[in-house]
Amino acid sequence: MTQDMIASRPLPEITDLTEPFWAAAKDRRLEIQRCDGCGTFRFPPEYGCAACGSMLATWTKVSGRAELYTWTEAHPPLLPYFMERAPWPLAVVQLEEGPRMATNLVDDASEDYEIGMALRADFEDISDDVTLVVFRRR
Amino acid sequence: MTESIRDKTAIVGIGTTEYVKNIGRSELETSLEAIHQALDEAGLTPAEVDAIYKIETPGEDGNSELNVARNLGADNLRAWGGFGYGGGGACAPVVYAAMAVATGMASVAVAFRARNRGSGARPWSKMGARVRETAAFEAPYGLVSPVQQLALVTRRYMHDYGATSEQFARVSVTQRQNAARNPRAFFRDPITVEDVLSSRMIADPLHLLDCSLETDGACAVVVTSAERARDLQQTPAYISGASQGMGPRHYMMNGLLYKEDPFDLPSIYAARDVYASAGLGPADMDVALFYDVFSPMVLWQLEAYGFCKRGEAGAFVEEGRIDWPDGDIPVNTHGGSLSEAYVHGFNHVLEGVRQIRGTSTCQVEDASTALVAAAAVVPSSALILRKAP
Repeated sequence: MTQDMIASRPLPEITDLTEPFWAAAKDRRLEIQRCDGCGTFRFPPEYGCAACGSMLATWTKVSGRAELYTWTEAHPPLLPYFMERAPWPLAVVQLEEGPRMATNLVDDASEDYEIGMALRADFEDISDDVTLVVFRRR
Repeated sequence: MTESIRDKTAIVGIGTTEYVKNIGRSELETSLEAIHQALDEAGLTPAEVDAIYKIETPGEDGNSELNVARNLGADNLRAWGGFGYGGGGACAPVVYAAMAVATGMASVAVAFRARNRGSGARPWSKMGARVRETAAFEAPYGLVSPVQQLALVTRRYMHDYGATSEQFARVSVTQRQNAARNPRAFFRDPITVEDVLSSRMIADPLHLLDCSLETDGACAVVVTSAERARDLQQTPAYISGASQGMGPRHYMMNGLLYKEDPFDLPSIYAARDVYASAGLGPADMDVALFYDVFSPMVLWQLEAYGFCKRGEAGAFVEEGRIDWPDGDIPVNTHGGSLSEAYVHGFNHVLEGVRQIRGTSTCQVEDASTALVAAAAVVPSSALILRKAP
């Protein structure tokens, strides 16, 4: 089964909807959508607002301050890229502005993770066109 | 009104293949085998089938309604459809079969699921180099599989409500006890809480024995009108309640983490409507068949379906209240996805029918109602089956 799996780290397909997020990350900025109709911040990107239905939103720079919402440590079976680095820690953080995102924490080992710990956004280039938003202890 | 479906239809036949690691034949063949068996035991002929509904996974079309109808020799299909969202679709084909028959669109409806998930590859392992939609914001970080998504939700549940790994393990243990009596079950050797906790970690806090099986197999049921059901050879399992539920701003399993309240589960909405549809509540249920791809999901189902309040299911399970035969509400008397087989929860529908007929290997004494609920964390569906309308 392993030989059929992608060897590389999976990368996002960058679409018209998501391009502003990836472009901002490349420039070391965390931007998410904010609904023009009701002001709700949202992530992941969507065409319409789940709160009010408005189709209009503005990409808005957020503070990058967040706290750890939950985490896991993934063990095999994994995609080959992560298998070579197993166990692989995964985190979900809650931004100060409300939305949550999946990410990786840098610096800390998972035994030091604590739900609620204060974090700040950082950036990690993983390919020519993709910069991931990662988080470190604040 | 949801109650307009109440007791208008019944499940009159069930069929299943064996549940094994590698069944050695296609999903079309196993579908046909399960459907023939269900029709035979109902005393109906393939030619009479005029509706087919199924659970489907994107990219899988070998056992489309078209292919099944032709190979079955059905004279004419008047209604059909396939339902996605994985285990959330477990009851949906039966819900639609009941709707088609209750409205007169069809008279003999087949609902089925066939899946070669023991011999076939895991869906996430087929991921391409570039990923789309919400996965574009998860897979690059390494978040790719259902067990990882559920592990993240589970850790938060433990944090918010004080649930423990021992409580999750208790679900696997009780279902294995039930499976030990079931000759169809893939795993029948009893296990202890210690066995679960010492099994290999897959995604912390979920251990191998918190996870469902990976098996090949197919299951089918036949639905017809209540009136006709009374003249057939099996005890009818009347479909008293039927629902689907999605709730607001939902995603798939990953998406629970994007919602303001991650435990505002689709099951809560499916529960409300299935009870309204049947005119019954949790206190009226004799047995519950809960989709259980990972052990913590059973706790969330107990809460969503009103057997305990949010955050209280861990203690409920630990006190033996889901155990057969003496618990308040015996759960997954066939062993469920954790021990009988993984057929996307459709095997749970069959167990509901057996309980109503009085033929389960863990029969709940005098069972007259059975609740069957699809996956809690994805767009979901539910059924209430009853012995006498």
